[in-house]
Amino acid sequence: MSLKYRILCIFALIAASIWALFPRTVIERVKRNGEFVYDTVRRVPLKRGLDLQGGMHLALEVDESKGPVPDKSKAIDNALKVVRNRIDEFGVSEPLVQKAGNDRIIVELPGIDDPRRAQDVVQKSAFLEFQITDKTQALDKSLPRLDALLRDKKLVVAAATPGAKKDTTSSAGLQSLFTADTSKKADTAKTDSAAAVGTVGGPGAFSKLLTQGNMPGEYYVAQPDVGTVTQYLTLPEVTAALPPGKVLRWSSDTTSLSGRTYRALYVLDAKPIITGEFLTNAKPNTSPTEGNLVEFTMNNEGARRFRMETGRHIKDFMAIVLDQKVMGQPPVIQSAIGARGQITMGGKDLQAAQDLALVLRAGSLPVPLKVVEVRQIGASLGQDSIHKGITAGIIAVALVVVIMLGYYRFSGALAVAALVLYILYTLAALAGFQAVLTLPGLAGFVLSIGIAVDANVLIFERIREELAHGKTVRTAIDEGFRHAMSAIVDSNVSTALTAAVLYQYGTGPVRGFAVTLLAGIAASMITSIFVVRTFYMLWLNRSREAQQSLSI
Amino acid sequence: MLRILHDTNYDFIRWWKVMAAITIAFILLGLGSLAIKPPNYSIEFTGGTLMQLEFTQPPDVGVIRQTLDDAGIHGAEIQQFGTNREFTVRAQDPSAVSAQSKGAESIAVTIEKVLKTKFGESNLKVVRTEAVGPRVGQELRRGAIVAILLSFLITLVYLSIRFEWRFATAAVIATSHDVFTTIAFLKLMHLEISLTVVAGLLTVLGYSLNDTIIIFDRVRENLRKGRKETLYETLNRSINETLPRSVLTHATVLAATLSLLFFAGEVIRPFAWVMAFGIITGTFSSIYVAAPVLLWIERKWPRKTGARQASSTATPTSRTRPSPATATR
Repeated sequence: MSLKYRILCIFALIAASIWALFPRTVIERVKRNGEFVYDTVRRVPLKRGLDLQGGMHLALEVDESKGPVPDKSKAIDNALKVVRNRIDEFGVSEPLVQKAGNDRIIVELPGIDDPRRAQDVVQKSAFLEFQITDKTQALDKSLPRLDALLRDKKLVVAAATPGAKKDTTSSAGLQSLFTADTSKKADTAKTDSAAAVGTVGGPGAFSKLLTQGNMPGEYYVAQPDVGTVTQYLTLPEVTAALPPGKVLRWSSDTTSLSGRTYRALYVLDAKPIITGEFLTNAKPNTSPTEGNLVEFTMNNEGARRFRMETGRHIKDFMAIVLDQKVMGQPPVIQSAIGARGQITMGGKDLQAAQDLALVLRAGSLPVPLKVVEVRQIGASLGQDSIHKGITAGIIAVALVVVIMLGYYRFSGALAVAALVLYILYTLAALAGFQAVLTLPGLAGFVLSIGIAVDANVLIFERIREELAHGKTVRTAIDEGFRHAMSAIVDSNVSTALTAAVLYQYGTGPVRGFAVTLLAGIAASMITSIFVVRTFYMLWLNRSREAQQSLSI
Repeated sequence: MLRILHDTNYDFIRWWKVMAAITIAFILLGLGSLAIKPPNYSIEFTGGTLMQLEFTQPPDVGVIRQTLDDAGIHGAEIQQFGTNREFTVRAQDPSAVSAQSKGAESIAVTIEKVLKTKFGESNLKVVRTEAVGPRVGQELRRGAIVAILLSFLITLVYLSIRFEWRFATAAVIATSHDVFTTIAFLKLMHLEISLTVVAGLLTVLGYSLNDTIIIFDRVRENLRKGRKETLYETLNRSINETLPRSVLTHATVLAATLSLLFFAGEVIRPFAWVMAFGIITGTFSSIYVAAPVLLWIERKWPRKTGARQASSTATPTSRTRPSPATATR
C-alpha cells in the first residue's frame, strides 16, 4: 500500500472514530412532574453499564413454592411479555428485559432511584378477580368440624397470642404462668372486642379466633392471630374440611375496632364472576370520599358478562380480589354494573394507585415470579467509579508516555502518538458496536493502555537488533516490523481467544470487560503495526538525513 | 540509545530446580491454607447479600453488628470500605442464603429497615445492593471453571497449529501453574474471589501466555536458524534476547496496574492486586515453567531427528515445525 493510501486510511479511521464518538442528540423518556415525556439530550454515545450509571439489575425465575409449574419455559415467555409491557409503562430510559437461559428473565433498569418500587411493579402478579361473598354461612357450618379436627388430631399450632394457647394446648396452664401478664391483656381485649362485634366462635381452637364481621362471609381476626389462622388454613386436613366451592381470602389491609387491629377474612364463592382479562384500561384517581383509587374499564365482552353477573347478584357483596387479597371492603351491588368499576386503595398513597393501574394495564403475570438476583447501584457511586477510573486512566497514560519517551526517544514519540489513536479507536469501537462499558471494562481498558505498547516494544527491539547487525535505517525498520510480526500476531490472537471465551461464559460486568479487551486488541494491532509503520515511512520520506540514523 | 539488559547472557534455566522448589512451596502453602479454611468467595458465587452503606457520621461497627444480630441476621461481615463513613455489610452464611429462597432481596430489605430504624432514616444511604440466590451462585461458579478450561483447550489447539504440540503443552502447563499461584496468592492475601477477580485471573492467564509466546516465538526462530547448540542453550539465548522487551512491557503494564491499584477505587482493587501478582507469576512461569517443561517434553518425546542436521537453514515447512536437530541436549 502506498504512503498516500496509508495516510488516507488513518484519517478515515480517525474521522469514523470521531463520528462514532461525537455527542449526539438522543431521545429519552424522562419523568417530569409525574408524567413521562420524551426529551432530547446530547451526550457521547458510549453506553455505560449499570455499575457506572447506577440502576438496578434483576433476575427473575418462576416461583414454584406455591405449586409446580408444568411448562416453565412457556410460562417464562408469557411472563416476559407482561414484564416488558410493565417496564415500558414504568418509563425508564433504555430498559432491558430479556430471557436468559430457559427459565430466567433479566431486567435492567438504568437510573432507577426507587428500587423497591421498581421491583414491586415487576413482580406483582396483578391477577384481578371479582368474587361474591358467601351468603350461605358455609364457614359457620363447617366450624364445629374444623374445631373437632384440630382438637382430635392435635394439630393445634403454637398460637401467636398466648391467650389462644391457654385454651388449646395441654401444657397451656404451665405456660400461661410464665406469660400470664400478656395473656391476660389479650384476653381482656378479646372480650372487649367480642362485646363490640359479637362472637361467632365458640371455645373451639379455630372458631375462637374468628369474629363475625359486618356482612355475610366476613370475619375478623385479631392481627396477632393472623399468623395462626394462616397456618391452620395451610394444613391439608383443614383445607379438606373447608366448605366446598368456597375460598378464604384475607383483606389487603387492616381495620381498627375498639382500639384493636383486625384483619378481615372473607369467605367467597370460589368461581369468580369475572377476572381481569377483560380489562382494557386502568387509571389512578383520587376521590374525596374514598381516597385514592384505580378506575378501570372493560371491553365489550367483559362489560356484557359483568352486567349479566352483577345483575344476578343484586344486594350481594362483591369482593375485588387482587393477587388473592381482597382490596378494600366489598361493596354491595346496587344495580347491574357495566364496563366501568373502581378499586379503592384503602389509605395507600397515590403512587400505589398509579402502580396498580400500571400493572393492571400491562396484564397479569401468568406465573408468580421470584427474584433470584438483585444488583442495585446508586447513581452517585457509579459517577464516583467513573471519576476514579478516568483518574487511573490518565495516570496510567502519563506513566506509559514517560517510559516510552524516556527509553525510545523519537520512536517512543511515534508510539505515544499511536497510543493516542489507540485510545480513540478503542472508545469508538465500543461506541460503534454499542458495547456496554462497565467498571471492570474500564479497568480492563486502563490495563490495556499498558499492554497496547507491547507490540511497539517488540518492533522497536527488533529494529534495534537489526541496526546492531549493521543494517541501514530503512532496512532495519522493514526487517524489524517483519520479524516482530509472528510474535505479535500469535500473542494477540491467543489473548483474543481467551477474551472470546470470557465473553461467552461471563455475565454482566465481566462481559463488558471481555468486549473492552477485544476492542483493545483490535485497535492495538492497527495502531502499533499499521499506524507506527506509516509514521516511519512519512519520516523516512521527509528527511534525507533521517535515513542515516534513527532515534530509537 | 538507552539500553537495558542488552546483549545479556545469563544462564536462566540453570536455576530451574531452585525456582521450582520456591514456586511449589508457594503453591503448597496456598493450597494448604485452602485446606484449612475455604477461600473467601464473593456472594456472586455463594449466594447471599452485600450492601454498601454510606453514613453521614462515622458509625460504631459494634452497634451495626448488634442491630443486625438482634434482627436475626447472624454472622454478617461488616467492613470499612474506603472512608470511615462507608461500610459493606455481607450476609453470606448458609442460614442467610437459605432465607433467600423466598426471594433474593428479602435479607437486604431487613438490613435496610433495621439499620434505618437504628441510625435514623436520613443518616445512612444504601449505595449498592447485591443479592444473589444460591442457584445463581452455583451456575456462575460452574461458568467460571468452564471458561478457564475452555480457554486452555482453545489455546492448546491454536498453539499446536502455530507452533507444535510440545510448545503448546509447555505453554499451557506454564499457564496452569499461574492459575495455582494466583489462587494461592488470593488465599494468602485474603482477597475475595469475585467475578471481577476471575476476569482478572483470565487476564493474567492471557498475559502470561503472551509472555510465553514471545519467548517461544524467539525459540522457534532460533531453531530455524539452525545454530549448533542444544535446546537448553537455545532457550537461554531466546530468553536473553527477549529480555529488554520483557522489562519494557512489564514496566508499562505495571504502570497501568499500579495506577488502577491506587486510583481506581475500592471495587477495582482486588482486580488490580491479581493483575500485579500476575505480572510476576506470568514472567516467572514463562522462564521457569515453560522452558524446563519444554526441555523435559523434548527429552521424553524427542523429535524424530531425520537426516537434516543443525546446519540446515530454515525451510518453508519449518515455520510450524522447528528444525528437529537441536532437540536434545
